[in-house]
Amino acid sequence: MAHRYILGISAYYHDSAAAIIMDGEIIAAAQEERFSRVKHDPRFPVNAINYCLEEAFIEASDIDAVVFYDHPFLTFDRITKNCAFAGESSYPVFNSAIKSMMGIKIWVEKHVCKTIGSAGKLGKIIFAGHHMSHAASSYYPSPYNNAAILSLDGVGEWSTTTIAKGDGNKIELLQEINYPNSLGLLYSAFTYYCGFKVNSGEYKLMGLAPYGNPTYVKEIYDHLIDVKDDGSYRLNMEYFGYLDTGKTTSAKFHELFGGDPRQPESAITRKEMDLAASIQVVTEEIVIKIARHAQKLTGSENLCLSGGVALNCVANGKLLKENIFKNIWIQPAAGDAGGALGACYVAEYMHFGGTKKTGDNKNDFQMGSYLGPKFSEQEIEAYLDRNRYPYHKMEYTEKNKTLAREMDNGKIVGFFAGRMEFGPRSLGGRSIIGDPRNPGMQSKMNLKIKYRESFRPFAPAVLREDVNKYFDLDTDSPYMLLVAPVQHSIRKPVEPLAGASVDDMIPVINQIRSDLPSITHVDFSARIQTVHTETNKAFYDLLAEFKAQTGCSVVINTSFNVRGEPIVCSPKDAYLCFMRTDIDVLALENYLLFKEEQPNFDDKENWQTKYELD
Amino acid sequence: MNRQLFEYHPTIGYKFIKSLKTRVAHEAGGYLLRTNNWGFRCENDFQIGKIPGKKRILFFGDSFTAGDGVSNKFRYTDVLETMLPDTEIYNFGLSGSGTDQQFLMYQEYGKDIECDVIVLSVLVENIRRIKSHYRYYYNDKNEKVIYAKPYYDFKDGAFQLFNTPVPSQPLTMEELPKEEQEKVDTGGRFGFARSVVNALGLKEITQKITKYQPVPEYNESNTPEWQVMREIIKQWKGMAQAKLIVIPLPLYQFVEETSDASNYQSRFAELTTELDIPVIDPLPEMRKYTMDERRNFRHKTDVHPTAEGHKAMAEAIYPELSKILEQ
Repeated sequence: MAHRYILGISAYYHDSAAAIIMDGEIIAAAQEERFSRVKHDPRFPVNAINYCLEEAFIEASDIDAVVFYDHPFLTFDRITKNCAFAGESSYPVFNSAIKSMMGIKIWVEKHVCKTIGSAGKLGKIIFAGHHMSHAASSYYPSPYNNAAILSLDGVGEWSTTTIAKGDGNKIELLQEINYPNSLGLLYSAFTYYCGFKVNSGEYKLMGLAPYGNPTYVKEIYDHLIDVKDDGSYRLNMEYFGYLDTGKTTSAKFHELFGGDPRQPESAITRKEMDLAASIQVVTEEIVIKIARHAQKLTGSENLCLSGGVALNCVANGKLLKENIFKNIWIQPAAGDAGGALGACYVAEYMHFGGTKKTGDNKNDFQMGSYLGPKFSEQEIEAYLDRNRYPYHKMEYTEKNKTLAREMDNGKIVGFFAGRMEFGPRSLGGRSIIGDPRNPGMQSKMNLKIKYRESFRPFAPAVLREDVNKYFDLDTDSPYMLLVAPVQHSIRKPVEPLAGASVDDMIPVINQIRSDLPSITHVDFSARIQTVHTETNKAFYDLLAEFKAQTGCSVVINTSFNVRGEPIVCSPKDAYLCFMRTDIDVLALENYLLFKEEQPNFDDKENWQTKYELD
Repeated sequence: MNRQLFEYHPTIGYKFIKSLKTRVAHEAGGYLLRTNNWGFRCENDFQIGKIPGKKRILFFGDSFTAGDGVSNKFRYTDVLETMLPDTEIYNFGLSGSGTDQQFLMYQEYGKDIECDVIVLSVLVENIRRIKSHYRYYYNDKNEKVIYAKPYYDFKDGAFQLFNTPVPSQPLTMEELPKEEQEKVDTGGRFGFARSVVNALGLKEITQKITKYQPVPEYNESNTPEWQVMREIIKQWKGMAQAKLIVIPLPLYQFVEETSDASNYQSRFAELTTELDIPVIDPLPEMRKYTMDERRNFRHKTDVHPTAEGHKAMAEAIYPELSKILEQ
């Protein structure tokens, strides 16, 4: 029987990606940035598409449908109408947008044909719609047969927030909030104001929040946003600039919070910490209100989440604790990249009428989100031999024993195994790992590996069966999208700091808070990844060996990259990152490389200026 | 991301990595490339013994045979496999290789494989490669580097193999002795003039006007290049466990009749008259297509054959090859 292949594409805004499914099952998905090595690359995902066709191993002409995640004409409509409404002052916004739209967006079909040689059997592109793509990306791979679906992001076409209902293979959009009212853009306004990069620095703001006090919550509610009991909201556009100036915030916003935005890479002060804490509280309250409303509307006990706001794992953790829904599933590539996957599903189920697989409310269809390229041992060996890099080829169990021993001795490991992850998190396919019991590990990893601010905590990866031993969580969190407190039993008493400046985070960071200091945040929380043998045996077996040697079934897991660099994809990317940082051991599948054995590294590329801070 | 396709080989210089399954980006949109259990771009895994009831042909050649620019299934060898009943084809094509390396590949991998026919597909341009000692490649930083290759030559009255084991590391032009610098294959004649003409987009018109001859090495029987080519083929025949056939694959200039093919055709015809080696010349059949059809036998800028070009080659080769196979 012939299979039905659908290629989904998201592009032109930020973090473009491609995905391919066969008869409703995911074959591959990847972000363009991983191949182009340009963080959040918004360009047409030529390399990601090529990879998807490689994984499916089909000709472009064998694709049944090519689907784009957005509807460029609706986006164009929004831009035009908003500019008309905003008047003459919006000319720069209009000018830039129209060039972009006329140059590329409306010619998606031509671009596809030029890139892969065919628009597939349909001979034309299907446009799935931005929020429908988001909704589909979270509902169809979820383990549920019905669900309330929330999609929360900056903006897509006109919508910024949507509530939908999934039932069987159908999704029905129920309610939406439209641009310019946007929870995502509200959060981004604070991201920008606190000196981080919009569309990528939001998770830093979230990491900063626990250091602050939510002292600005009243100002936010009094001036910036009006929220109703059902979670619907309106922004006061006098405080924002994105309608008419192209900037996120306005002078009035700056006046309200007492001055100009913080300059990137300047010192973070109490004000930024308190602002981060405040917008985090407001976001959580709104998300919870919307979720309650969605539950009432749909009557479902299951929730599916997507859109950039769904990457706010602190809010997700709070939502879980509220018990509004019995089950929650969050698309790990919740941002626009995941729209490529959602677009595939829209075509499969709503265009072709495919039958959704029956879920068991537990096991999803995302395959652990290991949907990217894998490299064979032959490829790795050929790469190492060609470059004459010294390595040790080991048996699988011997490799795990060696890596566990090295971590126990305080070494940092670059771990490269199996398929690359789809989505912004490293989940043990392309990860930097270390011993979380080591008190100096957070500082070492931040300053000598990631070259970034040291306030940001690292995430723990823990054997699924042991999660409750360390954390107040007893559910699966395979995608590192839930935050939960560390157990009281492993916490350490923290003495109040005498004489420290209120602006200085360093003494606070350096306090030991638990038996696992490197992953315990200032508020005793942790962003947890549960590791499952069914989806990542290589990572699971390594953690099991670490537990066997040390009694600890947790490792630090951070993305395999330096600051501002996309996560590594290939053995070459991994080797470059290994040599540019203080990673001690590189494990490329069963090939181990030790730093002290490597030849002098002549790095011609000035990567520290190439990769900008988020 | 471009996957690394080749690995170092001490005798041949390099070969495909085993068990690859990749898609190579290309001006025509990209093509699927699969390598087998022995590291050759072939849909069939290799085994020594024949499958009862099946005939087997081994094909050796360069990128035209390996299939640069098209997916495995569109190559002339794969098309031939569908045309020839109960026949499996083992494709040993290696991109960028010369006849010397193909002969070494046969000795290393092919000589013990049971088969009915061995086909050497010589892209006529390969004659230049067999006189070169080095070739340019692009490394993963997209820098041009020089790698040594094995080669045969007459020395002290004997036909000898040089540059083996092949050095594994790349070289720079400055590292080569002066006399060896001229032995780097730069990809064709009149290097500087060619780059200027190509940059101006005047390649085709210039070739037409000048009646450009891309392979003057075939002009006479006694050119050093042809002497080496002829000796390789002669030795190959002496070693072959089955009938050796030679197929001269034409460059597009010969298919599209901008260059005179008669000299190279004469040289290959001599293989039959002098060495009793059957030669199948696909050129006359390929010239029966219209000029527009022939232009579609190659890509827009890449000179490798398109799927149409491969199909035309397969159809041109099929009648004589099937007859030989029946014998």
